[in-house]
Amino acid sequence: MEGFTVKAFHDFLRENKIMGSRCKDCEGVNLPPRPVCPVCGGRDLEWVEIRGKGVVEAYTVITVPLTKMSNRCPYAVGVVKMDGGPSVSGLILGVTEGDDVSVGSRVVAEFVKEGDETVLCFRQT
Amino acid sequence: MKLSKGVAIVGVGMTRFHHKTHAEKTSREIFVEAALEAVDSVDNGIQLGDVEALFVGNFSSDAFEKQGHTAALMADWLGLTPKASTRIEDACASSGVALNMGVFAIASGAYDVVLVGGVEKMRGLGTEEVTDTLAMAADGLYEVGAGFTFPGLYAALATAHFDRYGSNWEQLASIAIKNHHNGALNPKAHFQSEIMDTAIRRGERRGMAFKDEIDFLSSSLNPVIAYPLRLFDCCPISDGAAVVLLASEEIARRFTDTPVYIKGIGQASDTMALHDRADLTMLRATRLAALEAYRMAGVEACDIDVADVHDCFTIAEVLATEDLGFFPEGEGGKAACEGRTALDGDVPVNPDGGLKAKGHPVGATGTAMAYEMYKQLRGEAGKRQVDDVKNGLSHNVGASGATAVVQIYGR
Ligand SMILES: [Zn+2]
Repeated sequence: MEGFTVKAFHDFLRENKIMGSRCKDCEGVNLPPRPVCPVCGGRDLEWVEIRGKGVVEAYTVITVPLTKMSNRCPYAVGVVKMDGGPSVSGLILGVTEGDDVSVGSRVVAEFVKEGDETVLCFRQT
Repeated sequence: MKLSKGVAIVGVGMTRFHHKTHAEKTSREIFVEAALEAVDSVDNGIQLGDVEALFVGNFSSDAFEKQGHTAALMADWLGLTPKASTRIEDACASSGVALNMGVFAIASGAYDVVLVGGVEKMRGLGTEEVTDTLAMAADGLYEVGAGFTFPGLYAALATAHFDRYGSNWEQLASIAIKNHHNGALNPKAHFQSEIMDTAIRRGERRGMAFKDEIDFLSSSLNPVIAYPLRLFDCCPISDGAAVVLLASEEIARRFTDTPVYIKGIGQASDTMALHDRADLTMLRATRLAALEAYRMAGVEACDIDVADVHDCFTIAEVLATEDLGFFPEGEGGKAACEGRTALDGDVPVNPDGGLKAKGHPVGATGTAMAYEMYKQLRGEAGKRQVDDVKNGLSHNVGASGATAVVQIYGR
């Protein structure tokens, strides 16, 4: 297996897989993956697949965007705590107003193709 | 952490922070203006040539002005070559960290007089490009790549805080109102106008009338930038520079009879991405930096008489006043609403208007806070002077809290 790199994470996303790294010493899971366990400093890691369901921990609806996002405003983006695992940032699709979603809302992963890339997004269930 | 000798501020200078004043200047001219004001401010006089080393906080002259190697450039334009010059980049905490580095440089015994400054010339770019550049301070791959802007990260922290503590946007608005009030008393502030005066002025242009500040701040004239944060919850985009002159305790009184001592310093880091943090209702780096600074200074939160905290967004001031220990968790917004952080409150916060009204040329903010504490401790803060200041505190944050730095000042 290749290293726990950004490229590897994105390659897995293209296969519709959310893959993190798990530390064999302390069982800490990191998403996206990292080469060193930030909890115990362990370097003996393995890949672990994260199931695509979670809950919104924090979010916003953006109306002044980055230039690359200016054609899709307004859009929601949030921090999602994956069930039984770590948290990750992603767009929350179908949300254009602050009241359309809440902290605590259940979401499911959606793999959005953008050219060659696959972007990890979420949608409320 | 312990320093082997004391360090004092003996002079300060800053330009006005503004979006137009410096339109025709580049960062080198803005920095020189602040540095010369600092030199001229020294009571018993100091020569630029007395400066033995420079530490310059700057976030991104690379992106804003296509100019790197900022510290050597400033040494050059001040005629200070061949003195050692070092640039420090820690996002919005760049010059707050530079200040700590200057303190270390003197406490180590290496130097007796050090110039610490910060500068940012941001207005050469349009708003979207500035948004892109500021986003470079967050995790570019996994936060910005996911769609977060820099205001968006603080907006997300706000939703988490609201959810856990029942805090609300009206509390945030009270912080904007307070900081604009203070800014109106500060001739160096970007905004020098009460929010109600702005409401009347802007309302008249559009045939709208507002019964109070909240009525205006809830209106279409205060658009949402990143829910729940609106335009007046965000600091403006400003140009500016601020410089402080540090001297070792042995020689500080050669330059002034009333030096301001840096009694405690602290710094901490945290994960770049919010999603890697266990708690999204506080900034852990602030708590750790403050703990270190309080210990070194031998004071507690309740001993602080005035503070400049990092309010890049109104929610950031809520988090800061809780994380610094001024108020219990979840009560920072309520305390602001009750006027406890006003100029005449229990602990006046951001008497200079804060980043919100004074402006936030990102690399200049940390030293601008030290400028304000120097003025407050010497009783020279004019209309915004807080009564009876013995201990001051400054708190400077990098991006969404991956860096935090705290200084405590005393006489
Ligand atoms: Zn581990």
